[in-house]
Order: sequence, then structure tokens, then C-alpha cells
Amino acid sequence: MEQMYGIGLYAVSLLTFGGIYAVMALGLNVQWGFTGMFNAGIAGFFAIGAYTSAMLTTAFSERHLGGLDLPIVIGMIAAMIAAGIIAWGVAKICIRLRSDYLAIATLGIAEILRLILKNETWATNGPRGVSLVPKPFETWPEPWNQLAFMALVLVIVFGLYILLERARKAPWGRVMAASRENEPATRAAGKNVDRLRIEAFVLGAMFMGLGGALMAHYLKFIDPNAADPLIATFLIWVMLIVGGSANNKGAILGAILIWTIWSATELLTSRLPDEFAIRTAYVRVFLIGLLLQIVLQRFPNGILPEKREKALAAERERHSQT
Amino acid sequence: MIEFLNFHLIPGIVLGSIYALGAIGITLTFGILRFANFAHGETMTFGVYVTLTLIWLTGWHPLALLPIAMAVTSGVVLGIDRVFYKPLRASPAIILVMASFGMMLMLRSVTQFSWGVQLQTFQPGIQRPYILFDALRISPKHIIIVIAALILMAAVHYLLTRTKIGKAMRAMADSPELARLTGIETERVIKATWIVGASLAAAAGCFLAIDTHVETMMGFKILLPLFASAILGGVGSPYGAMVGGLVIGIVEEISTYPWIGDAPLVSPGYKAGVAFALMVIMLIWRPSGLLRGRVF
Amino acid sequence: MTNSIKRLTLAASALALMAGSAQAADINVGSVAGVTGPIAELVAPIVAGRNLAGEHVNAQGGLLDGDTYNLVLSDSQCDPKAGVDAGTKVVNVEQVVAIIGASCSGATNGMVQSVTIPAGVVALSDSATAPSITELEDNDLVFRVAPSDAYQGLAIAQLAIDQGYKKLAMTYSNDDYNAGIATVFEQAFQDLGGEITANQAHEPNKASYRSEISTLAGGDAEGLAIFAYYGGSGITIIRNSLENGLFDKFMAADGMFDASVIEQIGADTLRGNIFITQSASDYADDSYKAFAEAFEATGNDPVAPYAAHGYDASFLLALAIEKAGAADRGAISAALREVAGPSGTVIRPGEWEKAKAAIAAGEDINYEGASGNVDFDEAGDVGGIYSVNTVGDDGSWATNLIQ
Repeated sequence: MEQMYGIGLYAVSLLTFGGIYAVMALGLNVQWGFTGMFNAGIAGFFAIGAYTSAMLTTAFSERHLGGLDLPIVIGMIAAMIAAGIIAWGVAKICIRLRSDYLAIATLGIAEILRLILKNETWATNGPRGVSLVPKPFETWPEPWNQLAFMALVLVIVFGLYILLERARKAPWGRVMAASRENEPATRAAGKNVDRLRIEAFVLGAMFMGLGGALMAHYLKFIDPNAADPLIATFLIWVMLIVGGSANNKGAILGAILIWTIWSATELLTSRLPDEFAIRTAYVRVFLIGLLLQIVLQRFPNGILPEKREKALAAERERHSQT
Repeated sequence: MIEFLNFHLIPGIVLGSIYALGAIGITLTFGILRFANFAHGETMTFGVYVTLTLIWLTGWHPLALLPIAMAVTSGVVLGIDRVFYKPLRASPAIILVMASFGMMLMLRSVTQFSWGVQLQTFQPGIQRPYILFDALRISPKHIIIVIAALILMAAVHYLLTRTKIGKAMRAMADSPELARLTGIETERVIKATWIVGASLAAAAGCFLAIDTHVETMMGFKILLPLFASAILGGVGSPYGAMVGGLVIGIVEEISTYPWIGDAPLVSPGYKAGVAFALMVIMLIWRPSGLLRGRVF
Repeated sequence: MTNSIKRLTLAASALALMAGSAQAADINVGSVAGVTGPIAELVAPIVAGRNLAGEHVNAQGGLLDGDTYNLVLSDSQCDPKAGVDAGTKVVNVEQVVAIIGASCSGATNGMVQSVTIPAGVVALSDSATAPSITELEDNDLVFRVAPSDAYQGLAIAQLAIDQGYKKLAMTYSNDDYNAGIATVFEQAFQDLGGEITANQAHEPNKASYRSEISTLAGGDAEGLAIFAYYGGSGITIIRNSLENGLFDKFMAADGMFDASVIEQIGADTLRGNIFITQSASDYADDSYKAFAEAFEATGNDPVAPYAAHGYDASFLLALAIEKAGAADRGAISAALREVAGPSGTVIRPGEWEKAKAAIAAGEDINYEGASGNVDFDEAGDVGGIYSVNTVGDDGSWATNLIQ
């Protein structure tokens, strides 16, 4: 019985982590799926959001700036705003770059951000990180605290999903899709593609900042390692590609699925005898890499490929006429 | 002035040579195969460990073993291409980038599993430098690295300008459709690209190991500067990669010189950021890079 | 969404089946460590130390009624996210009674605040040394057998003064561990009357530190204090310094302590010129000797940083479970304090049978560990004993306790 309870709590944590990653994958989907922008600097926006919320909501501390003890909601909103502002700056600079270049530029910017977080110790406590971050519902008894936090995350995911689905079907979303499919035509039609791209980039980055804030509150601790560009960024990309890029449901599915695989495979490898225990960590990483390759070859559009609304509608029309 | 030469400029040139060699592979993959290969760092690391094993077996100098290491690394990379990249040839670049990420994880875990994660070295002990003119300090291993790097770069130049396959590579980088139309066998060119890239990666890795030591994350840790070098020089242009690598390496080292006053101009904690800052500036000012590579 | 729910249910049932199929006589204790990540090479011997204690326990009668002491390894990657994930897995899926870990202060901070304290599970770390952990409101659930950085920084400063150094330059690797010790060292050295001529952070994993070192060598420092991991930057810094005649005397903390430093630089060059402190115990002490003998027999080096602490943490938790009389999470905290001392029959590493008998007889026991007397203070921390390592005549490290 205790075992089932424990597994239940683990499932809750899988959904919580998965949900936070889903928020970020949705943000990435706005940038990639809607407008085809290859943002490899996810970790940077994540970090800004995380640190902003953490520093504003902790109690006063000599070790870092902030410590204003503000309510968590304010922290999260501030996180989104901060990420949005930085994203706006980045976008203005990089907007005309084509995809591979944009990727590496954003990667470089994220690295610089990480170095700032690490070196400006007076502000962020450097590598020692910001601790004692408050967590919503933490005074509630187990398991209600975990369930409530998970519920909060899932509600946010759901809300963002609805928002993005609406946006996708609205004129704003349609023009985005058009600019992705055929940029010159869209420009010729008089649409300000650059401005749209910037808007999409900023919106996506705000989601990533929110994800960062949620993570900081979940872990109650944040340090520059969390902004490690390659793992944090890479994992979210895998989630989106595997789940189905340009598809909001796919983003959510990919996030939860990939995180579950990433986390749960360790339960399998830790069953092996001890002499192999350390080396199995490497086997696990190997298998995850291999799994990625298999998915890429067999499901190139991801598990839930993008639905083309218009194409479907056209199909239906054709069918109804015959 | 002397400190500047000894502790900033010369290490910068050595580092720049290593970056240059690594970046050539990246830029060729970018230009001919059209994707950013994130597994390039692990290819370097793998080449280093192969060399290390050969040293254990034979006791020879690493440079003597380098050709063998290059061959082995090329073989492995060709195998990887066959199984993991070839099926995705027609896919969009992002898919290939993802695949290379996955490859990065796989190759790294194989290296860590096989050789363990402890620090190793090619040759223990330290090497006192020669002192020229009573002031200039030049270490023998640095001379070796720079000369060997120059030789390899000259070899690449020869390959690209004088050989048939080299010219085919340049044609494909310029325009793949046209290249196919004129009868160039794309698969052969692709194989050649991998071989050149992997061999140079193995060499770059070995030079880095000679200058520092051997450990499993060494290639990954310079991956971002390698990308910066390729972009700085102009993606798709091997000469650009050479120039970009040298520039990045030198600027990284001289940026911490106390140009103004007593303290370093750039705090050493930010030294790593110098490469990226340069790259971002280049991307904004002149995306085709210093030597006008492609702009995708 | 149904697809993912189906998937999750399947996964959950599979896990349940597997968990159920484990032996009924296993008592699980979580072993959370940074197996992959920036300090992977340092963590391997620590995990070996933990496992050795487990072997001793199981070979001499096991836990309680002959149950097996089963350490479940989970990778915290020296990262708070992974630390929380690892902690969640061992607490909930593996149903551990207590946890050893994590390795890095960041991972530990995340894990205990987010998982173990709310779940009421004891976490005993063998290598997380950040002072911030002392300040946590932890319901007496967080313990450490590794002394806080605050002590080691002080010890090195004192050592430097005792060695006659008045002016030192220093550099530290910009990570949580080394930055922490460096800050304490700087303050302490200055308080003791020394002068820091230059202080620079550096990014680890670079190929050359010549530029950083040449700036540091500007003043007239007598030596260089290095706070770094040997693999990340420490060896390169020493090499660059020596090759260019910038510094030839060094002091360092235990992140630098490894045989490869001597291997790579050369014993003759380093002899008399380098002092590395290490959180340690009296090497002449019986407890340490018992541990060292057994550890060497498994092919590991007993002076590896925190390996002895790993052994102690593991052995202590076993003792606590035995003392508590049941695999009961709630009873571990109090039981742990009881078995750690300071009063009672002395139990040393490897003396499991003796401990079992003493506990069964209702005696008070006091574990004196390989890493020190492991008597916890109010906050669950231990005091610091340090040793200094210098290069011996035979070309390996010679260790002496700092008095």
C-alpha cells in the first residue's frame, strides 16, 4: 500500500517536472512552431525567470540582491516581464538572422547570461545560488502540498494551451503560419513580418521565464548550473521535436513523455548490481541518445504531427462534394 | 610587453590553432551537409582517447600515432554517418541537429564507459620553455602544435584546390543541386567531408591534450568556441574557420591583459564569454562572416 | 492527453511490479550522488566508501532480523533539478528509510528543501559543505559528516600563517564549493595578519590560465592559493605557473587532492612546494586504519577526498536503523543522534557485529568514524579536523594532521 502511495507521489513529481517543461516547450513552440525561429538560448530565459522570481520572493539575505519577500504570484509575473524584456532586446538584434545562425547567436547570449549570473556574486550569490525560495502550498501536509503544486502547474499548462490554440486560429496566428511557409509572399501582402516575429519571440520567452520561476519555487533553490545551456536547452528541443513540433498538444506530450523516460530509466538501471552502478549511468545516457535517434528516424514529424487546419477543411469539402 | 607576449599572445596563438583545426570540420559539415554538428566535440575527445590507448600499447610519441588515430576516428565517424545521419539526409536541418545532439550523448557515454572519467595525460611532468633573447618564453610543445597545425591547414588547402574531391567539396558547398547535376557523386563528397572533419578533430584534440591533459569532457568544453570560430570566419569557408579560430583564440587570451590600468580588461570569469560576444557582434554586423561564407 | 495518461499508468504498473518483486528482506537506503556531472571522478571513490560499509553490515549479520542493507544509487548530477528528481525517486518509489547524499551543496539544497524535509526523511550528506545548509529549518532531518567550508577555509589560513607566509595571491574556480572556501580563506587569512595581494575567480575547464596567473603574479606574493578541482583547472594552473616561472609555491584545499597532481606535474618539482589540506581524521587513529585497510583491499585509495566520510555516513545510518529497531523513517533522526555519540561503547568502522550485540543488550554506543568522531552538533553538523598533504620522499602524498 505504501508502495502504491509512493509511486503515486512519484507520478505527481513526474507530472510536475513534466508540466514545467511543458510550459517551456509551449513557449518554444510559439517561437519555432509558429514562426520557424530556432532559439537555442532557452536556458537563458529560463534562468532570468528563475532568478527574478527567486530574488524577489525570498526573505532578506546578505548574500544576494532582492529579498523583498514579495508574494509568489508577483514573483512569477515579474519573471515573465523580465524574460520578455530581455527577449525583446535579443529579438531586435537577431531578428533577421536565418535559423542556424539564430540558434548559435541565442546560444551565445544564453552563455553570456549564465556567466553574468555566476560572476556577479554581489547580486546573485554567484555559484552558491539563491536558497530558501518559498514554495506555494509548502505549509500544507504531504501529500496535499505536492498535489496542489502539481495542480497549479497543470492549470497553468492548460491555460497556456488554450491561449495558444486561440492565438493559432486567430488572424495573428494565421499570419505567423503564413510567414513561416512563405515569407516573401507575406511581406508582399503588406504584413510586418519582423514585428510579428519579435512578438512571437517575446511571448515564447515569457513562457520560458514563467517555467524558470516555477522551477525555482519547486526546487526551492536555484543556481547558475540550472542555466546550463546544453542540457536545459537541448532537452526542451527534444521534447518539442519528439512530441510534434508546431503542435501545442505535441509540445505538452513530448515534455511529459521525455521527462518520464529521462527520469524513470534510472529506476531500471539502478536495479543492476553495484559494480556496474556507476557505469550504468553512462549506459542510460547512451540509451537515451539512441532512443532519440530511433524516434527521429521513425517519427520525423514527432508523435503528434501538426494539423493543418486549412488542409483538413479542404479535404472535408472535397469529401462532402463527392 | 613581455608578459603580453608570453602569457597572452603566444598562448592565444596556440589556442587559436587548436580552435582553427576543430572549426574546419564544423564549417565543412555546415557547408556540405547543411547542419550544425554538435557531436564534433565528442569526436575530438574520442580521437584523443584512441591516441592515448595507442600510447599505452606502443609507447610512441602522440604525433607519430596521430595518423592512426585519424584513421580510426574517421572510420568510426563514417560508421555513424551510415547508420544515423544517412537515413535523415532529406530531413530538415533541425532534425539533423537533434540527431547530432543524440550522437553527442552516445559518443560521450561510450568514451566514459570504456575509459572511465579520471584525468589522464599523454606525457607526465612539466616542460620548461626555451628562453629566447632573455625574455621570450616558448615551449617546445607549443612550437610543435603551431607547426603541425600549419602543416595540416596547408594540407587542407591543397586538398581543396588541387584535388578532384576537394573541388567537388567546394562545389557541393556552393550549390548541392548544381553539383549533382554536373555528375558529382554526393555520397563520395559527403564521406570525404566526414573524413577530413574527423581527422582534423582528432588532431585538434591531440594538440589540446598535449597542451593540457586528457579527460572525457574536453571536446565538449570547447565546442561553443569552435562554433563561434566557424561563424566568425564565415560558415562553409574552411579558410574562414582558420582565421576565425585564430582570432577567437587570440582575443580570448589577450582580453584579460590589463590594457587599462592594473586589472584585467575583461574579468577572467568572463573570458569564455568573449568568444560568444565576438560571434554575436559578427552575426549582427556581417552575418556572412569575415571571409564571406554562406548566409543560409 | 489520453495517450500520455495511458503511458504513465503502464509505466507506473511496471515499476510497481518490479518494486514488488524485490526481496522482502531488503531494507533500502538511498545513496544519492553526483555520479555523472562535473565532479564524477571525485564521486566514484565516495560511493565506493558507502558501499564498503554496506558490505561490512551485510557480512556480519545484516540489519535487524537478518535483513539486507540495500543501498539504492541515484544520480544527482551535481544539479538541483536532478537532486530533487533523485530524491523523489528514492523516497517514493524505492521507499527508502533514509538517504545518504547528495554530493554537491546545490543538489543537496534542492533535494532536502523540496523532498526530504517535507517527506520527513533523514538526509545525511558526506560531502556537501556549504554553510547555507546549516541554516535550514530542517526539523532535525538534515545531517552532515562533512564539515562546513567555514572550517576548512580557516584551517588553510592558519596553515599558511604557520608556514610563514605573509603575502599570498589567490584564485578560485567559480563554482559553489571552491568559491565558498575561497571567501572564508580570504577573510581568515587577513584576520590573522596576512595580506592577499591579488584575488581572481576563474572559469574552470579552460586550456590555459597563463593570462590569469600573470595578472596575479603582478604583486610580490610568496605563493599562490588555489581553490579548484584538480581536473577542472587546478593541474593546469600549477603547470602554467611552474612552466612560466610565475609561482612555485602553492596551497590548496581538498578539491585539488589527487594522485594525478603528482603524476602530471612530477614529484620532484612539487616536493616542499605544495600543501593541500583535506578534511580528514587522525591517520594514526584506529578507526581510520580499520577503514583504510578494508578500502585498500577493494582497490581504492583511502585518502580520496570524502571516501572516509562516505563510509561513515553509510555505517551510521545502518546503526541508526538498528538502534531504531525497525525500518521506520520517523525514528531515524533521534536514533542517529544516539549512535553518533559522544558517549557509549566505542564502535569503529567494520565492527558491525559488536555494534549489533551492544544495541541488543540495550547499551549506548558511540561511533567513532574514519573521518572523525562524528559527533553531531545542534544543527546536525560536525566539527572540522584537517590534515595537510605534502609530497613525500617516495613521490606520493604524505599526510599529517593539522594540530
